[in-house]
Amino acid sequence: MLSFRIATRFLRKSPVQSILIAAGIAVGIGVQVFLGSLITSLQTSLVDQTIGNSPQVVVQAKQDGQPVAFTPQLKQAMEAQSQITTVVPTRAYSAIFRSGAESAPLQFTGGALDQLDTIYDISGRLVAGKASLAAGEVIVGKDFADTFGLKPGDEATFVLPSGKPAKLVVSGVFDFGSAAANSVTAFVSGDDAATVLGLSSDQYTAVDAQVQDVFSSEQVASDLRAEPALNGLQVTEWQAENADLLSALQSQSSSSYMIQFFVLVAVALGIASTLAISAVQKTRQIGILKAMGMRDRQSGRIFFWQALILGVSGAAVGVAAGLGLIALFTFLGRNSDSLFPITPQVGFVAISFVVGVLVAVLSSLIPSRRTKKLDPIEVIQGG
Amino acid sequence: MAETLVHAEEIGKTYGTVVKTVALREVSFEIGAGEFASVIGQSGSGKSTLLNLIGLLDTPTTGRIVLNGHDATAASRKQRAALRNDFIGFVFQFHYLLPEFSVLENVLMPGRIAGVAPSELVPRAEENLALLGLEGLEKKNANDLSGGQKQRVAIARALMNRPALVLADEPTGNLDTENTKAVYKLFREINAELGTAFVIVTHDRSVAQQTDRILEVSDGALLQDVRNAYVAPRG
Repeated sequence: MLSFRIATRFLRKSPVQSILIAAGIAVGIGVQVFLGSLITSLQTSLVDQTIGNSPQVVVQAKQDGQPVAFTPQLKQAMEAQSQITTVVPTRAYSAIFRSGAESAPLQFTGGALDQLDTIYDISGRLVAGKASLAAGEVIVGKDFADTFGLKPGDEATFVLPSGKPAKLVVSGVFDFGSAAANSVTAFVSGDDAATVLGLSSDQYTAVDAQVQDVFSSEQVASDLRAEPALNGLQVTEWQAENADLLSALQSQSSSSYMIQFFVLVAVALGIASTLAISAVQKTRQIGILKAMGMRDRQSGRIFFWQALILGVSGAAVGVAAGLGLIALFTFLGRNSDSLFPITPQVGFVAISFVVGVLVAVLSSLIPSRRTKKLDPIEVIQGG
Repeated sequence: MAETLVHAEEIGKTYGTVVKTVALREVSFEIGAGEFASVIGQSGSGKSTLLNLIGLLDTPTTGRIVLNGHDATAASRKQRAALRNDFIGFVFQFHYLLPEFSVLENVLMPGRIAGVAPSELVPRAEENLALLGLEGLEKKNANDLSGGQKQRVAIARALMNRPALVLADEPTGNLDTENTKAVYKLFREINAELGTAFVIVTHDRSVAQQTDRILEVSDGALLQDVRNAYVAPRG
């Protein structure tokens, strides 16, 4: 381990230079950890906001308008999927709200409130009234209620698909955080919806499901398609309905990778040039060590060790700095609704650390080669 | 003659490919174990080139060098590094101590390169330092010593692996008369005590007169190779 010993001495002899290289690595890895975690969390937050409170996998009949029989076999097949967290049969239809000369289309979802809550969290997002879906009751969105001046307890008239009018009492008002969703969504009891649609007690328009990892839904959907209990049914995952969101997420990821890549390239160039300067500064020492019999490979390893020591220490400080920035970001945004929580992923942080060390070690290739090739006579003759 | 340490057979060195400069032309000689020889010549005569060639720091353009039975001309860089480490100790005009290390660590370096355990090396290094009158300076940084002390540390380092041959290129070029005398006295003592062969390059005839054999180089050729009956001054 003579090369290691010499490497540590060289580093200690030029502390400012060593600290500068390590700081360069630390900044690079710090940015990497912070930016990577920021983008991942931003995407998680975006996905959660967009599809977190909506079904991520939907089972429907292949023909439009045909009901799905929610048999115990179907229920069992869906619940057997380890990624699926909740399975909710629903009955959906459109109706038109009428109030004097004004009208607005509404999308009704019928089901049991406790089950609907597992997907939509209606009870948790209630801003007025009470969470109740008894017969003849409806829960509407905040923007819809505001537009038409509806309050809990008010009666509203809707024109059903059959053309018949139906009166429902507003029991509560929810806020999904999106004006679009708040304007067109409404919830009624499963039985009321069955009556409107003329369905029997085990017939539904769709079976909705949510999954643990939202990006696993494609795999879940594909697994479900292979299930015999889902024969003749159509399985749709959220990705198929949200192509724009997906492409936005992908562009965001690629731009983030680009930034991270160029930060690392800049770090690598910085380390390589500083180590190359260090190799020139130590030419005399390397030459005399070689004159004394140090082998080329042994001398080349001096800069490998220097890079490894700088890489490990720089990357460790960088990881700490990145996590520190995340903590600061979270602290500053603790009272803000617009900021989202950044959750550093252990795997990503570990990869960033390893990448930092690898970049440093790769940067030592040039000075190592130069050192290996150095002939002692170049130093001895030079005086 | 004693066992042959260095066998140089018509060695020559030419620098440059377009403009060729002949530094040494077909020189042949042998150095035996325990010899105390000097190489003299004017500046640019080729004496340092000769020393660098037999020290395996440089490779000859022509000819062959056999070091302690090993054909160094045919050896790889790795083998030549090992031969240098095993058989040769160098003392240069400039001490070339490593400023990152202490006196003791500098002296230990050739042993560490050889991969010998520190437990075995330290007593030998201390013995060397004692031989050169450097006791008590072990922990000092090489930069904190006087010129004479630095050169003595360089000599202690050259002796670390108990080499069969010490090559010294103007070893006292940077020292005052007092220290110069002390260094040659030391060389003589080491030669007598350890049986180490010395080849000392110098441009100073009076220094050469203190050695047992004088090889004179002029214009890259070996002008003369004479035995010298040196008698050490008393006291």
